[in-house]
Amino acid sequence: MAAVATGILGSTCYFRFNIGNLNLNGKKKKSTDLILQDRSLAARKQYHTSVFAQCFSPCGKFLAAANNHGSIAIFSLTTALSPDSTEALWKPVYSFKASEEGAIFCLASSDIFLISGGNGPICAWKWSDILNKSPKVIWSWAIPKKGPFYQTEVNTIVIDKQETQCRLYAGCGDNNVYVWDLETGEQLVTLSGHDNYIHSVSLKNKGQMCATASEDGTVKLWDMRHPSAAEHTLEPYKNQLCARPEFGRWLGCVAMETGDDWLVCGGGPKMSLWHLRSLEATTVFDTPAVCQKTVMFYEDTIISAGGEPYVNHWYVNGDQKSRIPCTPTNVFSVVVNTALNSHKVLCTAGNRPKIDVCTNFGYKAFSLTFS
Amino acid sequence: MFEKISRAEENISYQALLESKSGLFYAEEEEVDSHDPQNDLTTFGKTCEEIRTAMTEIRKLKEKKGKDNSEEIEEKKINATLQFVVLKKLNRLAHVRCKKVRDATSEAKQRIDQYHLQLQNLLYETMHLEKEITRCLEFKSKDEEIELVSTTEFYKEAPKDISRPEVTQSDSHQRTLARLDWELEQRKGLDQKLKEAKDNKEKLEQEIKTKQEYLENLQPKLNTILQSTKPVQEYLGMPFDQIREQHQTACHLPHPLYVLYMQSSAYKQACDKHLEVRIDGDLQAAKSIKSSVTEIDEDSDSDQEDQEKPSSKRRRKTSDSRVSDRKNRALQRHPLSVVMEIKCRDGGCLHLTFHYQMSLEIITVNTKFQSGPDNVTASISGGDLLSAESVLNDIYPGDHGNTTPNPANQYELRRLGLRDFTYYIPELGRPYLWAQWLGGLQFLDHDSPLKAQSSISSAHMQQTVRLLRRRIRSRTSLLQQLASLERGSVQVIREYLPLFPAKMVAHLVSWKRSTYEDFSVLPHSRPAITAGLAGESDLYFTAIVERCSAKMTVQVVLTANYPEVVPWFVVSVHWQTNRTALNDSHIQAMEEEVNLHYHELMKEKSHDQILSNQMQRLMMCFDIYLETEAQNMESEGPMEISKEKVFTRVTRGPNRTKPYMFSPEVGIFTHR
Repeated sequence: MAAVATGILGSTCYFRFNIGNLNLNGKKKKSTDLILQDRSLAARKQYHTSVFAQCFSPCGKFLAAANNHGSIAIFSLTTALSPDSTEALWKPVYSFKASEEGAIFCLASSDIFLISGGNGPICAWKWSDILNKSPKVIWSWAIPKKGPFYQTEVNTIVIDKQETQCRLYAGCGDNNVYVWDLETGEQLVTLSGHDNYIHSVSLKNKGQMCATASEDGTVKLWDMRHPSAAEHTLEPYKNQLCARPEFGRWLGCVAMETGDDWLVCGGGPKMSLWHLRSLEATTVFDTPAVCQKTVMFYEDTIISAGGEPYVNHWYVNGDQKSRIPCTPTNVFSVVVNTALNSHKVLCTAGNRPKIDVCTNFGYKAFSLTFS
Repeated sequence: MFEKISRAEENISYQALLESKSGLFYAEEEEVDSHDPQNDLTTFGKTCEEIRTAMTEIRKLKEKKGKDNSEEIEEKKINATLQFVVLKKLNRLAHVRCKKVRDATSEAKQRIDQYHLQLQNLLYETMHLEKEITRCLEFKSKDEEIELVSTTEFYKEAPKDISRPEVTQSDSHQRTLARLDWELEQRKGLDQKLKEAKDNKEKLEQEIKTKQEYLENLQPKLNTILQSTKPVQEYLGMPFDQIREQHQTACHLPHPLYVLYMQSSAYKQACDKHLEVRIDGDLQAAKSIKSSVTEIDEDSDSDQEDQEKPSSKRRRKTSDSRVSDRKNRALQRHPLSVVMEIKCRDGGCLHLTFHYQMSLEIITVNTKFQSGPDNVTASISGGDLLSAESVLNDIYPGDHGNTTPNPANQYELRRLGLRDFTYYIPELGRPYLWAQWLGGLQFLDHDSPLKAQSSISSAHMQQTVRLLRRRIRSRTSLLQQLASLERGSVQVIREYLPLFPAKMVAHLVSWKRSTYEDFSVLPHSRPAITAGLAGESDLYFTAIVERCSAKMTVQVVLTANYPEVVPWFVVSVHWQTNRTALNDSHIQAMEEEVNLHYHELMKEKSHDQILSNQMQRLMMCFDIYLETEAQNMESEGPMEISKEKVFTRVTRGPNRTKPYMFSPEVGIFTHR
């Protein structure tokens, strides 16, 4: 009956409170009233959905994304990229509640596992189970609790896969980076020395060198053969090239280039390129009034994004190559699928339920919807 | 000479003469039989020869003249003459014979005729018999028309003495007879049964009649009892009579209102003592209306009239009066109305007057709200919240009572040259859908109204009254909250106080009514409009919260069915720079705290306080926002905003979220 009622009344519905407006606009405003106004909790939840992390499956055909409500959604890139794909197919093929304790901040993928971290323990799911739509936690590691009112979260996880070993680095809210052996499940090392929580971790030289960016404003460089103390500390907030006191000193992202001795980091201070041997900032990538939250080296360029609805592509000399608009106004994650050449896409996720997909990195092709 | 003749005669028929002695007249007839006609013929020839010879002799004698032979001639003459006698006789005989033959012929002919006739008769008889045979063959028996039970069934059911299978199995005629017998038997039985049933029915009718008579006799007795108990009723203050009168008046209500009255009074008696239902209006007029059938006659020239420009004042006047006349007829409502009073716990009372529009066939409602004695209802921004026009908006989603629920009305009004129904609402009242339901009316799309059904009414009664009551309660509470917000204080009732820290620095500076237009021009409110979380028909308020030089502007979106739909907040902060959800994720998180996690601000029973609680929560988050931002900044000199709240971590996670969650047990702020 309610449906019939709205059918009858829908065409001329307006509200009597604004009698003045009513007479002026009584006729032209039909269209907005016809929009079905769903203000349920589900609609509100969808509105307030942020996607913090993204990760591709080892086969490169699926994209996993995790949101602030603790759900993981799996998108099929093969379906979404097919030529006759429509909006109906830009939805998750499967999604599940992965964390009962709230947001998931990071995802990583090994050959068989999808590993998630955030509020609560680090959990591992088998990709094969997920694709069969029956995921179960294969193992989980709880982060040691720091105090009764201190909720330790996992902000970043990185998998270091070498011929001899496979390690998991987790940058956590208790200012430490924990390193586990993925095969034995043994906790190998704890990198401690930061004064605030870890935002980002980057590895190079076959896992022998590790860089960590922290809320305390420093990047620490660790030699994993002697992990008891940091080898070097970079402090961009003290560097006059990039310091921005009005945004604080925190560093949200760090990345190292595999071949050369370059490191890029950004956050409160401007994003900057550092030479690892001289430990000097050489180039500044200026984004006025915007803090970068994610950065990566890709081929000869640097891709970064942060608190604005754009993805920045930079040349190493500091010139901006391009600025690609995207849906989220606050970008948390930019990933490039390198596993499968036919599915080589760049995905951008942030404070909106939509995940932008760029096929040629030049413009947004379409958006996947996390629902 | 005579002798001679006689002699001659004697010679010829001597024998005949002898035989005919007995009768003279029959002599010759008998003679005929004895003569052979052949002999007669020869006699005749001989005689003729003799005559001829006599003639010739006479002639010869005459020629011999001389001689006297006269004698001889004479003699000869006599002989010849005698021969004539013989001839005569023969002639007679011939005649007699001829006659005899003719008689015999006719006799034979007659006999033949007789035989022929006999033959004809026989033929006719055969034909008749043949016809009879065919008729017999064509004979149809009556039993062929009777539907008999099938053979197998017959053998199964009929008793042996009727079915006689040993005979009937082979003889189909016997079988048919047997089946007919069985049929007859069965029919007799059924006839018997019918008779019994009829008897029974008659008996029952008789019984009913006597009982009815008894009941009819009872009525006057009851009346007298009622009359005699009147003083007792009055003394005890029991208004049975009043109720009865009302019930009698109810008979004159139009059917939908009758259904409404009946169902609502039944509901009142069963579940809700704080509901009052009564009938108002002119009973006499209602009675007269019932007898006269109202009709709205055709107005064929209505279009013409509307187009014509009144040429003179007089013309205009008549046209105007005609229009009003037509209007009056089309918008005529029944003189009786049902008044429902819904009393609320706080003393407030909602008066609903239901009218029935006779020609439009819909129910309209006039609303009046009487607030309780100790309720504050004076509020500038929400002054119209309890007004008659809007207080019952959206009781059911989308039901604003602005358009007539009967689709036929539109056409009818247009036909009569009247304006849209909406135009007449102030004088008619609002045709809310639930009012039609309570009256048992249900309009489908483009369909004429069905007959008023009490099942529809009863199905909606409880929920509607509950919704109405809840609406009044929530509106009163909302109004109180608005009044308090206007005074600059966020009213948090004791029950909810533990949800918030004792000390709040940010304070509410202003609370004003806003409009959809003002709301929709703000860039940071667009996503909410696109997502369908704020619409044109909603209520908008703008609140300004300040702390030191920081100013937070809050857009609040309220729907008519607050608090079923929890208010939606859109926040912008001006502190050195402009910050909104579009450029600052912490503002977005702040909005999320009130827009999404409102369940933390509601305790089970009542949601009425949600607006104040959300506002308080938002101000608390604003404090946290400013204090954490100040800590974050690497500014020198004295800090404008000092840290007042207790929190262990300033930021957390990749989004550097702020500790917006308050733990009441320990009084510190944590992250979600």
